[in-house]
Amino acid sequence: MSAGARGASRSWLAHAALVGAAACVAVPVIWVVLAGFRTQISLLSGAFWFTPVLKNFREVLFSKTSDFLLNYLNSLIVGALSTLICLVAATLAAWSLHRMPWPRWFLHIFLGWALVFHMFPPLALASAWFTIMRSIGLDNTLTAVILAHTVLNLPMALWLMGVFVRDVPVELEEAARLDGATTPVLLRRVVLPLIAPGLAATSILTFVFSWNEFGVALTLTMKQTATVPVAIAKFAQDYEILYTQMAAAAALSILPALVLLIIGQRYIVAGLTQGAVK
Amino acid sequence: MPANGAGRGVTRRQVVAGGGVAAFGLLAPRRPAEAAAKAVPITVVINQSPWFDSFRKVVELYEKDTGNEVELDVNPFAGSLEKQRNSVRAAQGQYDLLVMNSGWFAEMYFGGFLEAISDIDPAFKLDPDIYTLDNTVYFDAAKKTMTPSGKLMSVPIAPLIPLTYYRGDLYKEAGLVKAPETFAELEANAKRLNKPPRRYGIVQRGARGPASVSYDFYPYLYGFGGGVFKNQAAGDYSVTLNNEAGHTALDYYLRLAKEAGHPQTASLEQAEVIQNMVTGKAGHIIVVVSAWSQMDDPDKSLVVDKVEFAVPPHAPGFSPGPGLGHWLGGIARNVPDDRKRAAVEFLRWFQTADAQLAYAKAGGIPVSAATYRDPISQERKFRWMKPLSEALPHAVNIYQFPEASEVISILELGLNQAVAGNLTAVAALNSMAGQIHDVMSKHGYKTGVEPPLR
Amino acid sequence: MEPIAGTAAHAAPFAAGQPALAKRPAAGDFDRGFDERVWRWAALSPALVLLLTLSVLPLINLFITSFFTVTWSGGHSSLAPAGLSNYRALAGDTLFRAGLLNTILFAAFAVGGQMLCGFVLALLCNQVTRGRVLYRTIFILPILVPGIVVGAIWKLLLNFDFGLVNQAIGLIGFDPVNWLGSASTALASVIFVDIWHWTPFCFLLFLAGLQSLPLDVYEAARIDGASAWQELVYVTLPMMLPTIMVTFAFRLVLAFKVFDEVYLLTGGGPGTSTQVVSYTLYQRFFREDQTGYGSAMSIAVIFMTCLLLVAAFSSRRQTGAAR
Repeated sequence: MSAGARGASRSWLAHAALVGAAACVAVPVIWVVLAGFRTQISLLSGAFWFTPVLKNFREVLFSKTSDFLLNYLNSLIVGALSTLICLVAATLAAWSLHRMPWPRWFLHIFLGWALVFHMFPPLALASAWFTIMRSIGLDNTLTAVILAHTVLNLPMALWLMGVFVRDVPVELEEAARLDGATTPVLLRRVVLPLIAPGLAATSILTFVFSWNEFGVALTLTMKQTATVPVAIAKFAQDYEILYTQMAAAAALSILPALVLLIIGQRYIVAGLTQGAVK
Repeated sequence: MPANGAGRGVTRRQVVAGGGVAAFGLLAPRRPAEAAAKAVPITVVINQSPWFDSFRKVVELYEKDTGNEVELDVNPFAGSLEKQRNSVRAAQGQYDLLVMNSGWFAEMYFGGFLEAISDIDPAFKLDPDIYTLDNTVYFDAAKKTMTPSGKLMSVPIAPLIPLTYYRGDLYKEAGLVKAPETFAELEANAKRLNKPPRRYGIVQRGARGPASVSYDFYPYLYGFGGGVFKNQAAGDYSVTLNNEAGHTALDYYLRLAKEAGHPQTASLEQAEVIQNMVTGKAGHIIVVVSAWSQMDDPDKSLVVDKVEFAVPPHAPGFSPGPGLGHWLGGIARNVPDDRKRAAVEFLRWFQTADAQLAYAKAGGIPVSAATYRDPISQERKFRWMKPLSEALPHAVNIYQFPEASEVISILELGLNQAVAGNLTAVAALNSMAGQIHDVMSKHGYKTGVEPPLR
Repeated sequence: MEPIAGTAAHAAPFAAGQPALAKRPAAGDFDRGFDERVWRWAALSPALVLLLTLSVLPLINLFITSFFTVTWSGGHSSLAPAGLSNYRALAGDTLFRAGLLNTILFAAFAVGGQMLCGFVLALLCNQVTRGRVLYRTIFILPILVPGIVVGAIWKLLLNFDFGLVNQAIGLIGFDPVNWLGSASTALASVIFVDIWHWTPFCFLLFLAGLQSLPLDVYEAARIDGASAWQELVYVTLPMMLPTIMVTFAFRLVLAFKVFDEVYLLTGGGPGTSTQVVSYTLYQRFFREDQTGYGSAMSIAVIFMTCLLLVAAFSSRRQTGAAR
């Protein structure tokens, strides 16, 4: 039928556009990863073909001045924990704000404050936090960074989860209430499955922001607690950028994060849509 | 304790043995390292750089020699200043020894964040062979100047100044015999080697950044006898940027860029200048000495063993004026006394000729003239040592006050606009001089300004 | 037909509570009221506690400092009252003025570009049935790359002498362009890099928003005979409005904070063509250590961002109400 044919050509066009966009997006990233296998001079002289070397990866992972594996572990811990705490706090708070009988002004002030807080320059916050953490002895600990990242990402998570929570039809919640559901059951069985895509998207963003955050992580950490961005920044030295080592470190940083996200996405969405009560 | 009868005290044999050991100890000659009390572990904050690895090896040698522990906290350059600031401003500092860049050591001195080495250990004497780098190791807190009348605040860790790098092989080809000594020679040689677009006679750094084009310009400015301020050591901050010497220097700089330089000079950062050299596109560059290691590394350079080094040029009748971009090691005030003393011990060891020689062999840039006299400086690999040792006594500390970054940001903008052709040399100089004068007045320094150039 | 989720849900909380209690006085309701009261606070408290402890103090500190000049000597700080002079000095700061103009341009084009690209990509991705996961994974890639690497890598790609971009256009026969070094193309290049870096942010959120839209609305529209374009404009866009607005708000705030890329790509140059506000802030606040002045600048920028957002939101609300 004509509708079907139209649908097919539209789908072909959509695919073509997507492939084109994917190329634009992926080519520089692939270029970065490949650059990790080049010598610096081959990169700087703009040569297209090159013979791969493993030197950069060896330097990044095993040289005496590098703690890359430790930094990696730190980033993983900080990323995972701060994302978890942030999303739990933000989702619960968003649900409470939008579904519970709060006065209008409270809602606006809370969300407004979160947004204004989000506008403050992170470096200014970092030095204030350093003073607080140092005075209670928490500087140079992962706890400090986890707390800092949680708070940094909270405004965005709060607002975003607010949008997704409001998209859940009130009638469904009412129906569950009438069936005698307590709040925990309501949240688990009704709300969570419906906000699953939004939750997945927000957790991905929160994790990535934490993973790549530099300013605050630099201020609150020292050698043992430094994260991956701090390690990568060391390759941009005062007058020489070690491009190929930075590329190797970036490649090491991207690929596992990508794998984690692919698995994580599916897991989050699948896990949350289980047991949905419709 | 005796194996039998715990409560019976020490046996006679033990007393004799103990006395013998003590006597032996008194009579035997002591190694200097053991004579000093074993120092507590210290934490040094330093940034990642090409010469860091050599510093790390030297620290390992120190630990092996003396048994003292040193922890190195290495940070990226972007953020080094903020980390050091946070540490010195806290009630209890994280770092004992701060390796400070020329960009911020004045802030540390003026803010009272460092403890003078002579206050911690009055017996400490700076080795006479150590370069004092335009007296930046001293600070007179009363007069707020950096002169030998003040106390010793720090020991140099890396004496970084720019040198002229030039292609020795191209010189031979062109029949040029000696390195350029005067600006006239530099201009002539650069024009000889200039074959655009394959190769540029000289590549300069004209981009605007935290300290880019201004740092490139200082050897020209001071080499022509000009300067930003009249006499900082005497506390006179009158702005002399737009006097005749300054005018000549900027005109020369712009002419060099136009006639023998890179067409995109206004956008070139230091990394790109070095990139031009290592890919063979530059005949000359004037760049900080620590880039030497890139030149001979086959993984990083196409011109291995072809680059020679020289003292930056000067105008006849004036000295060369390489601007300091050095690193100094100072001791924080807000750490316990025993750690301060331990840090002094490290510096005492670091300045010895043996330590400096080990530093050089590991690839570092030594701060002691003794090393430059050593046979090592004759080796091909270390051919930059001789010109560096000749240039170091002329090193100029451009800024002796903590608000320098405001002045630098004015210079960066003005010079960049001049190089890009948006402002004439005269307009740029006048504008910069006026703004610098405003900044110095705002901060209450004794200052004045020249009449505008025509 | 189901009402549009967003607006209805906003009004719901106030209607939900009373009728149930009034209609059915049973033992279960007493528990439910208690349950609600407890959970109202329990659910809010983690976020509340976090924000109170870690956000209030620094903000108050920043605000107060903006009225002082901070100097250090002898290892101690001293605050000299400066009244409004820090704020007055903003008007005379050439870097700040240039920064404002550039940032507004940057924010308009970069945010606009990202939102458009993100939305289109999300729409396309939602429509195709095969390879959705693959596309979604590829489109996330740019935000996985740390900011400092994005800056360093694009600086190499856009390099005048050796960059891949100039090599590529050289193959087609164009002259090399000094992307980052000439005032006419520098800001555009920075905007392009930002769009490349941040489109995934918009894409992810729009995709999630599209996926949670109720399907029955589309079915009803199809029954009514709506074309694809009408579907887009009259059904999709209005329902996506909350998502779009929040994405826009946060992207705008982030654009005002953009730093890593400018720092590495151009350092604010050439001249002041890529001087953005956050870079000026970094220079004044941190490099030059003008704490009081920097605080005033931060407060001023926040105030302006708030004004912009209020203007954007209220105009949206008006057009939304008219619809």
